[in-house]
Amino acid sequence: MLIALFNILIFPGFIFLTLFGWIAEYIDRKLCARLQNRMGPPWFQPFADFVKLVSKEEIIPEEANPTMFKLMPVLALTATVTAFFYIPLWGKSALFAFNGDLIVVLYLLTIPTLTYFLGGWYSTSLYSKIGAVRSLTQLFAYEVPLLLSILAPALLANTWSLSEMAAFYGTHHWYWLFNLLGFAISIIALLGKLEKVPFDIPEAETEIVAGTFTEYSGRLLGLFRLSIDIEAIVGSALLAAVFMPFGLGLPPVVGFALFILKVLFIICLLSILRTVFARLRIDQMMTFCWKYVSPFAFLQLLINLVLKGIIVK
Amino acid sequence: MGLIQKTVNWARLKSPWVLHFNTGACNACDIEIIAALTPRYDLERFGVVLKGTPRHADVLLCSGPVTKQIKCRLQRIYDQMPEPKFVVAVGTCSCSGGVFDGCYNVESGIDQAIPVSAYIPGCPASPKAIIDGVVKLLSSLETK
Repeated sequence: MLIALFNILIFPGFIFLTLFGWIAEYIDRKLCARLQNRMGPPWFQPFADFVKLVSKEEIIPEEANPTMFKLMPVLALTATVTAFFYIPLWGKSALFAFNGDLIVVLYLLTIPTLTYFLGGWYSTSLYSKIGAVRSLTQLFAYEVPLLLSILAPALLANTWSLSEMAAFYGTHHWYWLFNLLGFAISIIALLGKLEKVPFDIPEAETEIVAGTFTEYSGRLLGLFRLSIDIEAIVGSALLAAVFMPFGLGLPPVVGFALFILKVLFIICLLSILRTVFARLRIDQMMTFCWKYVSPFAFLQLLINLVLKGIIVK
Repeated sequence: MGLIQKTVNWARLKSPWVLHFNTGACNACDIEIIAALTPRYDLERFGVVLKGTPRHADVLLCSGPVTKQIKCRLQRIYDQMPEPKFVVAVGTCSCSGGVFDGCYNVESGIDQAIPVSAYIPGCPASPKAIIDGVVKLLSSLETK
């Protein structure tokens, strides 16, 4: 009971994820600023932003549905934190594992997008409704390549469980090199999932004010921002577990450091991509994801099928 | 003052999000505000981020004398901002009406419509003056 509470609240649960999420947001903003040749925010910026938002007045629009409006940020936060329990960090097994947890993690990572949609829809502002519909439209573009690219390594390992995948790649060293194409695809899909710059169409602030979050203020906005930070960590940890399964089973401290480095590597990659590219239109994103990204995801699947026939008996 | 209140005050000073609103300016002050947000001056050093919606903003940067047409819109935007909120009047026109003072279609300054916390004169106010004004506003809040 006590251990379960510790797991949920402190490590690897809520407090660890919050702190790591803030550090990742700081690194993301600082790296972006340095690439744009400016100073960037101080190290405590995400913490200061959060405390300020939490202590601010909370306005609920008159037309909005107050229950749904208040529930959505909490639901987004819960879903992302829950998803983290099924991802193996440095050992060969996650905290909880069963056959099929890969699908559960992907499903739990879809819930935040749905809460953005519902939260925007129930704020009944025109801007948030447009943002909400865009975030759902975008879901159809990136979700298929993401699932396909994560399916390919699972196919090679012949399992639906993230922990068993970690065990497979732990015994078959260097097999992860076959999945590099899938890694690139899933990075693109993760950019879409986190609504970062080439795919920040739902909250395009030069077009539709702040998109889904236009009507959110104070504590609720703080929770939404926190859940986005944690989603970045969980998404990166998922990619690290699936596509970089080396150095697993090291002693705890070294393994923990390696895990942090892997996640930060992916965060930095996302940050560089978001600085380099400019925003696409929603139809351009659809075309790009269905015409170019999905076929390459299928190619990765095909490569792994052939490999499975030849090498892995 | 308790520790929580101290932390909250500190956080408010370190993360002022601004909303930029043109209340009938000739556009010169707006260009200077945008210049203050560019990488050359980099207001993100102080935690300042430009936001698109009044719901997210703490500081309302207004430029220009308030025209009769925009007065009710300005008051509505001010009401849409969550507490605590501050208003900064950028440029001579928004401080006192400037050259437009006494015109039939303008009020004389932002403070005729909504309460103002800081005045930054200048025609147009330079980015350095704007940054100085915002920093002075924040440091005056620190003592309260």
